Amino acid sequence: MSLIEPFQTPFMARALAELIILGVLGGTVGVVVLLRRLAFLSDALSHTIFPGVVAGYLLAGEDGVFWGALAAGIATAALLTLLTRRVAQDAALALLLTTLFAAGVVLVSRRSGYASDLTAFLFGRVLTVTPEQLWQTAAVAAVVIALLAALRRPLLLRAFDPVGAEAAGVRVGLLDLVVNVAVALTVVAAVRAVGMVLVIALLIVPAAAARVLSDRLTVIVPLACLIGAAGGWLGLVVSWEASIGYGLRLASGGTVVLVLVAMYGLAQAAGLVRRRVRLGRARTGLEAVQ
Amino acid sequence: MTERPPSTPALILDRVSVAYGDVPVLEDVTGTVNPGESVALIGPNGAGKSTLIKAVLGMVPVVRGRIEVLGGPPAQARRHVAYVPQADTLDPDFPISVEQVVLMGRYRWMGRFRRASRADREEVAAALEAVGLADRARDRFGTLSGGQRQRVLLARAIAARPRLLLLDEPFNGVDAVSQHALLEALAGLKAQGTAVVVSTHDLAIAHLACEEVCLINRHQFGFGPTGEVLTPERLRATYGGRALELRGDRVIVGQT
Repeated sequence: MSLIEPFQTPFMARALAELIILGVLGGTVGVVVLLRRLAFLSDALSHTIFPGVVAGYLLAGEDGVFWGALAAGIATAALLTLLTRRVAQDAALALLLTTLFAAGVVLVSRRSGYASDLTAFLFGRVLTVTPEQLWQTAAVAAVVIALLAALRRPLLLRAFDPVGAEAAGVRVGLLDLVVNVAVALTVVAAVRAVGMVLVIALLIVPAAAARVLSDRLTVIVPLACLIGAAGGWLGLVVSWEASIGYGLRLASGGTVVLVLVAMYGLAQAAGLVRRRVRLGRARTGLEAVQ
Repeated sequence: MTERPPSTPALILDRVSVAYGDVPVLEDVTGTVNPGESVALIGPNGAGKSTLIKAVLGMVPVVRGRIEVLGGPPAQARRHVAYVPQADTLDPDFPISVEQVVLMGRYRWMGRFRRASRADREEVAAALEAVGLADRARDRFGTLSGGQRQRVLLARAIAARPRLLLLDEPFNGVDAVSQHALLEALAGLKAQGTAVVVSTHDLAIAHLACEEVCLINRHQFGFGPTGEVLTPERLRATYGGRALELRGDRVIVGQT
């Protein structure tokens, strides 16, 4: 199995570039999602942008998807910020996201042959990424990562000690809005490549795997980016090999996610060993003292 | 810290009433805390101690009366006010080192993009020294005992160089060693002119840590020097006459 050969074709090279950017973006934002326990909110956002995706597609075709998703993402990020602050009711959130999701399904069903469109939205089409789309993804990633880097101190304080952050004068509401918009932008950037159903994996899995391997944020963030990017690369290699070498057609988005989950499994195993070794060391230390 | 006119009180409470929506939580609390003084907020659980602290932090609106912090409204004094939460309200699994927690106290004095300076690092080291945890700087916060975590949070407040320090039940479930370290560090802060407000339901601690007390339970039942205000009558009034024992000159209040 070659790790480089599949990427000599331009469409595969673009797919690889797209997934590496998304891996780094998902890894960075994922650490914030992990620390703030926003997995549910991220999942909600991946559903609420659906009507935007469909509306964009109906209005302007393939090119409209990004802008439709962007508009819907920012709008619903603001709405969800308000809802989780003021109401904080699971039922209200669930109601909102099923409503928006259903609106998307109704919209898309107005087209003939909508099943194939729907499949593309749900599971993504990373192999058809155009150079223009690649630039859009890179621009979103640059903006989001720069934003989070600039806000890293208040973000850390807010995640660790919410009351202390407010007491220290951090504008918590505004900060939460920025984080939710950052999550929404990440979902928007990733939705074309891996689809709405799988986008949550890019946000959750690399950060969770990195967290198992380290207790230090200065290690966790780069490690999550690395795992995200490596997952994209290996996933593409596996789906290429399966289809060229063995005639098995594996959806690349799904393969990427499965590879990421496998990496998470390995991280868990490594984490278990790490804790054992530490415990062993602590025990020997104790015996030495005694 | 020396440019402050010595006459400005750190905290003035003037007939302060606080409500959550239509529900009154505190009514008519009055008192003054000067630089270098310490006041224990004493009252049963649910008396409104935390609410009063939040009002002083400007996080809960005052419906009647007035709070003045360092000569101005609470929201304008935030840079000079530090707050110490209860350690057990924070997630022990959070991936953060002791040093990083204490550095948070310096955030208000650091630029957004600037890295921590040598001076910041020195403040962090000195603050950890003050609470007796200099040797734990590199450890993960969650691996420390409850009492040690409380000391780290006090170190974070010390690193912020506050003029008014507010602590919410810092002695809850804290072992004797940590209690001693906390009291020492608080005494050091007071000596430097920091005003301290500590909420607690431990009367013995109030005696040790503070020269003044404020008795509250929805209303104020006294504010003044510890020896004068902590009388059995006033305590019985504050605690509604429940579970009160007297042993010599010690007063023991059962948890309500």
